Amino acid sequence: MTLAVNEVSVPVDFDNTGEDIIHPPVLMTGEASYKRVTTLVSRIIEAPKAPAIWYPCFFLSAGLAGLLFALIGYEVFTGVGVWGNNSPQGWGFPIINFVFWVGIAHAGTLISAILLLFRQKWRTGINRFAEATTVFAVVCAGIFPGIHVGRPWFAYWLAPYPNIMGDWPNFYSPLLWDALAVGTYTTVSVLFWYLGMIPDLATLRDRATTRFRHTVFGILSMGWRGSARHWKIYDRALLVIAGLATCLVMGVSSTVSTDFAVSQIPGWHETIFPPLFTVGAIFSGFATILFLAYPVRAIFGLKSLITDRHLDNVAKITLFMASIVFYIYLIEFFTAYYSGSTMERYVYLNWMFGPYWWAAWAMLVFNGVIPQVLWFKKARKTWWIAAPVGLFCLAGMWCERFVIIISSITHDFLPSSWHHFVPTWVDYGMLAGSFGLFFTLFLLFCRFVPVVAMYEVKSILPQSHVHLPKAAGEKK
Amino acid sequence: MTTIATSSSSAGSEHAGLFGVLAEFDGPQSLVDAAANIRTAGYRRWDCYTPFPIHGLDKVMAIPRSILPMVVAGAAASGAIGALALAWFCNAYDYPMIFSGKPYWGLPAHTAVAFPALVLSGVVTSFMCVFVFCALPRFHHPLFEMPQFRRVTDDGFFLAIEATDPCFSPVNTAELLRSLGAVSVELVKD
Repeated sequence: MTLAVNEVSVPVDFDNTGEDIIHPPVLMTGEASYKRVTTLVSRIIEAPKAPAIWYPCFFLSAGLAGLLFALIGYEVFTGVGVWGNNSPQGWGFPIINFVFWVGIAHAGTLISAILLLFRQKWRTGINRFAEATTVFAVVCAGIFPGIHVGRPWFAYWLAPYPNIMGDWPNFYSPLLWDALAVGTYTTVSVLFWYLGMIPDLATLRDRATTRFRHTVFGILSMGWRGSARHWKIYDRALLVIAGLATCLVMGVSSTVSTDFAVSQIPGWHETIFPPLFTVGAIFSGFATILFLAYPVRAIFGLKSLITDRHLDNVAKITLFMASIVFYIYLIEFFTAYYSGSTMERYVYLNWMFGPYWWAAWAMLVFNGVIPQVLWFKKARKTWWIAAPVGLFCLAGMWCERFVIIISSITHDFLPSSWHHFVPTWVDYGMLAGSFGLFFTLFLLFCRFVPVVAMYEVKSILPQSHVHLPKAAGEKK
Repeated sequence: MTTIATSSSSAGSEHAGLFGVLAEFDGPQSLVDAAANIRTAGYRRWDCYTPFPIHGLDKVMAIPRSILPMVVAGAAASGAIGALALAWFCNAYDYPMIFSGKPYWGLPAHTAVAFPALVLSGVVTSFMCVFVFCALPRFHHPLFEMPQFRRVTDDGFFLAIEATDPCFSPVNTAELLRSLGAVSVELVKD
């Protein structure tokens, strides 16, 4: 397909997924003008009413989020006995959910940061809402360790502060690393998201028709006026943050994995955990984008900005990550066999054929086998195949966390300490509630914040490419 | 006459009540071409205003490299060192305790503490630096009074030369900008 002559606007439903080695790909379909980019994105926020489907989705999500907070209240007042947690399974659903949501959180930073470092232009269509999923997933993730400590009003004990007992936290403890890593990640992802949004908030300020909107967006946009001198500093800062955030993504998921890998439990004590958690995190994050992008662009009419090519690329990365994850699973089984350790071998057999066999098989099939359909272009281009694949990957990743956390420790070295884990209705309620919270925040974001980074899309349009005058060329 | 002579030595009061002149261009290319000419003409206090960062415009305008990465590197290094020092103070100096037979202070394990501290201080510093170096937030600016300037965040490409520039003259500067293909040139009140 070679209709990539950039000066020509292509039809909205133009197929831009083809490869063309001469022309750069078309990343905005329909009339590719600056004005249209602004209008397409701003009208979502400026419309007096959201699209009809938004309301039922929002009330359902908000209801579930309400359930989450009600259950948190119930748990705090009653005690951690409301969960299925027991001895030896002290972690249960809260930590499964924590690791699961932290994983999802990683794709936003990854899409933004790594693709920015690699100068991948297609990131501009999806980076804003990918970053939003990061922030909201981190919010969901952060809740669980907070309530899992049992007495959340003492959560500040994690911080090194001078206290009357005269002691300090143990800096060798992965749990302290975890708190620090996730706290850092939350701060960084919020700052990165907000900083990236300032020029777009200024756009909304300048388009505001009411005093109220003008004031709100005026304050949020910090008086941004698009100065070239500011852009230079701004660009540099975003690049520096992207570089740091990329390392942070690797760092946080590796740190989360040390919660397990540093222990002696068979099934946890593995050197492959840091890369497995990192790849798994990236995988689940891209799967989230794959799952969310279709409804977002359909509901808000953004097919011109989030084009088939963007989703094709997301699907390809999902497939790539799924393949690495699957490979690591196989390697884990091989290592267990090859180690010759009875306990190690037993744990893996128990994964597959023990009481939680369904979780292990779901993990292998959902994460390893089902995403393989994305090898076919037809599947990547069909929304009712690609989006459900994303959902399967999410379910698979949740099961992976279940297998790691539940299956391993309920059957460790001593049969006398084995104990079955049965989740309670509070566990299920909180899991559903965390999805409610995520979607509530996500729907509010779609309605009130620019879903697509307008200024970044404008910067990659063909007409934004300038030829430098000779005088400037000689200088450098 | 004497008063005028003294005041003209301090740049700016010569054109009291005037911020400068604002020219609009029809696209990135004409703005970049005009910027190259303005720079050659010897202007110093001027700026371009665009809806998105135009790649190469900084070179044309000869904007110096930002010291931001250096500041961030310093902050990041201090963050990491600070975290290592904190771990040492807490676990090895103030209340020494043996955990799992490990040394009081060990770089391999404490890297996991130093690294997030490095990233955190680096990112927070870059974030702050944007506002410090850009002198933002600044909620009012003379350019905001210009109705056409509202398009700077949409599809407007502007170039403004400030009255404090030694080469500035309300008539000649405006004329120069018009000759460079500006679609509109207007004086901006301070």
